[in-house]
Amino acid sequence: MRNFYLLDIDLNKEEFNVVDITDVFREYIGGTGVATKLFLDACEDNIDPLDSGSPIVFAIGPTNNYFPVITKTVAVFKSPLTGDFGESHAGGNVGLAMYQAGFHAIRIKGKAQYFSYIEIENNRVRVLRADSLRNMSATATERVLMDKYNNLRVKSIMKIGPAGERLSPIACVGVDSSRHFGRLGLGAIFGSKNIKAIVIYGTKYSDAPKGKYNALYNNLYKEITQSELMHKYHDLGTASNVVPLSKINGLPVRNFSQGFFEGADNISGENMADKHLVQKIACAGCPVGCIHIGEVRIMFEAEHHMYKSKKVSYDHEPIYAFGSNLSVDNSDYLLLLLHEVERQGWDVMSMGVTLAWATEAFQKGIINKNHTLGEVLNFGDAETYLRVLNKISKNANEFYKDLERGTYFCAKKYGGEDFAIVFNKNEAAGYLTGIMTFLGYSTDTRHSHLGNAGYSIDQKFKNNQVSIEERMKELYNEGIWRIIFTSIAGCLFARGVYHKESIIPDILTTSGFEGYDDKKLWEIARKIHALKWNFKFKNGFRFDNVRLPVKLTHVMTSNGSITQEEFIKGMDIFKHYVEEDLKLLNS
Amino acid sequence: MTKLIKVVNRDQCIGCFSCVFACARTWQHAITPDKSDIVVKRYPGTEGAFSIRVCYGCLDPDCARACPTQALIPREGGGVVFESAKCIHCEDKPCVEACIPKALPWDIETKQPLVCVHCGVCANFCPNDVLRLVEV
Repeated sequence: MRNFYLLDIDLNKEEFNVVDITDVFREYIGGTGVATKLFLDACEDNIDPLDSGSPIVFAIGPTNNYFPVITKTVAVFKSPLTGDFGESHAGGNVGLAMYQAGFHAIRIKGKAQYFSYIEIENNRVRVLRADSLRNMSATATERVLMDKYNNLRVKSIMKIGPAGERLSPIACVGVDSSRHFGRLGLGAIFGSKNIKAIVIYGTKYSDAPKGKYNALYNNLYKEITQSELMHKYHDLGTASNVVPLSKINGLPVRNFSQGFFEGADNISGENMADKHLVQKIACAGCPVGCIHIGEVRIMFEAEHHMYKSKKVSYDHEPIYAFGSNLSVDNSDYLLLLLHEVERQGWDVMSMGVTLAWATEAFQKGIINKNHTLGEVLNFGDAETYLRVLNKISKNANEFYKDLERGTYFCAKKYGGEDFAIVFNKNEAAGYLTGIMTFLGYSTDTRHSHLGNAGYSIDQKFKNNQVSIEERMKELYNEGIWRIIFTSIAGCLFARGVYHKESIIPDILTTSGFEGYDDKKLWEIARKIHALKWNFKFKNGFRFDNVRLPVKLTHVMTSNGSITQEEFIKGMDIFKHYVEEDLKLLNS
Repeated sequence: MTKLIKVVNRDQCIGCFSCVFACARTWQHAITPDKSDIVVKRYPGTEGAFSIRVCYGCLDPDCARACPTQALIPREGGGVVFESAKCIHCEDKPCVEACIPKALPWDIETKQPLVCVHCGVCANFCPNDVLRLVEV
């Protein structure tokens, strides 16, 4: 058994401790489980997420870098967007850099005295003044720091854009090239701690295990690169969902008014590849290369044929958030909007859904030109949306300042809660497939589409041919399995490869992390689930407070119309599962 | 016939480090990019391109000429053979410095160069045909 270490950083005192947390890894595996436990140990109940005492925890799993596509780092924090449990996962190089620095978890509390970035190198931690990085875009920050540390072979850079500095609760933390701890506002917590960026590198490593390690690696590598299981991600990427979803009325359009998008072909994975795709990038340790980089060419002076180009990554969710849901079907403009979001460092889904709410609110007269400083908000008007993003980034007035506080805040303040598409204050992802997707957002501990993939259950059980009880059971089981997989910090795109009997115990054992079978992992995951829910209840979450936004009871999903009654029934069923899991904490 | 590893499609690299891990795993039994004979360099920014540096298989290798103890011996067909017992762990790493494309990495632990033997395992784990073992 290897040892696992936590780097515990107290920014108030500028103190750094290295703690052996091998026992925490044994009990909670790593990733989601370990990050949750280390977070709960350090987080006071009911603390303001932006208080200096509010902790951030990053954790990798025991097999990161040992096996292909086990590449993620899990962040756990208290969300400034929801006031509830915050969890977000990112790829890039962080998982490798933390491993090389010798830390399997990093916990940060306190607030730096001055505007800073943190440099972590093996056992040395420095908090360095960074006033020159103030208000710098997220993309420029990465360029500058990459250049500063360019003599190193592998490093990872986490950074916030100006949105995080402004404490926007929908600000994300960008990681390396085009990856993000996107959801639930981790960027604002960085900002509240005076931390612009974290640079991590090191020179530590583990010996490759003896025995069947190489054979197991080779088999997994072969399956990942040659079988159909990950073909979609390697090929068009998640953007390949756009047209199929639209065809089954499952792609949110114009603030979730309908599921069919007449412009889907223009922003489809196929069209994005034909017109814009210039490069694919991978996270360290993944041969798939799912990061799709799109380019837009812009003529900025016609007389001399002067051109510039902008590049930004795209995926299904950004395409939904700034494409179909805002009715933008011009792919050039779509990429320009995404580029601006990337520079500012907002979560793309939260900002897109907030603009969709604002547009509907404008059309219903809840918002007027006094609020928008003369801008007329129309679905499909990308040029206006670009100016709106610019005004938000300048906090041009109170309304624009409010827009970067998210949909829930705005709807509460200005009205239009019926069409604020949020679940426990978190903006929805890009699916209108049926009730299970919304029950998925509502019952997942991080209110994400990735926690339990309700959208997939909607598509598996078309026309709801099985009972809500059966579907909720499936949702719960998928959620628990995903806690196991994200506790080893695997990328969910590889779930097809790793979602098989005894594969996870096998890779754990082979990498020297022995003593686990599927049953034991399942029980650990249920306990992690219970810990998260315990925190949620203590911090104000109530099942009764989460309801389907009224608008969604009037629209047609892939599985027909949906009702509040069925939603409440689903929530009640899930509550029972949560209560059963909570009993594990007392036993 | 000598075989050499060649970067044949640099611009198809996605930066996954599979080649790097394969080299370190196979030859050093270690899970780290720092023990690999092949380096994948990542340039700044989203627009980031990758550059792959692995022994160029020189016929009259500058690294070998720079070595004060003849620990690096020119190999027939290109590249060098490393006799590690002869290496005196020079502070100023003349062999590494002599290689202009920085294709000869340095192991900071053993204080010796990491010398490619042109086995081709890196190419076996490249998903995008960036590397090939070719006959010269």
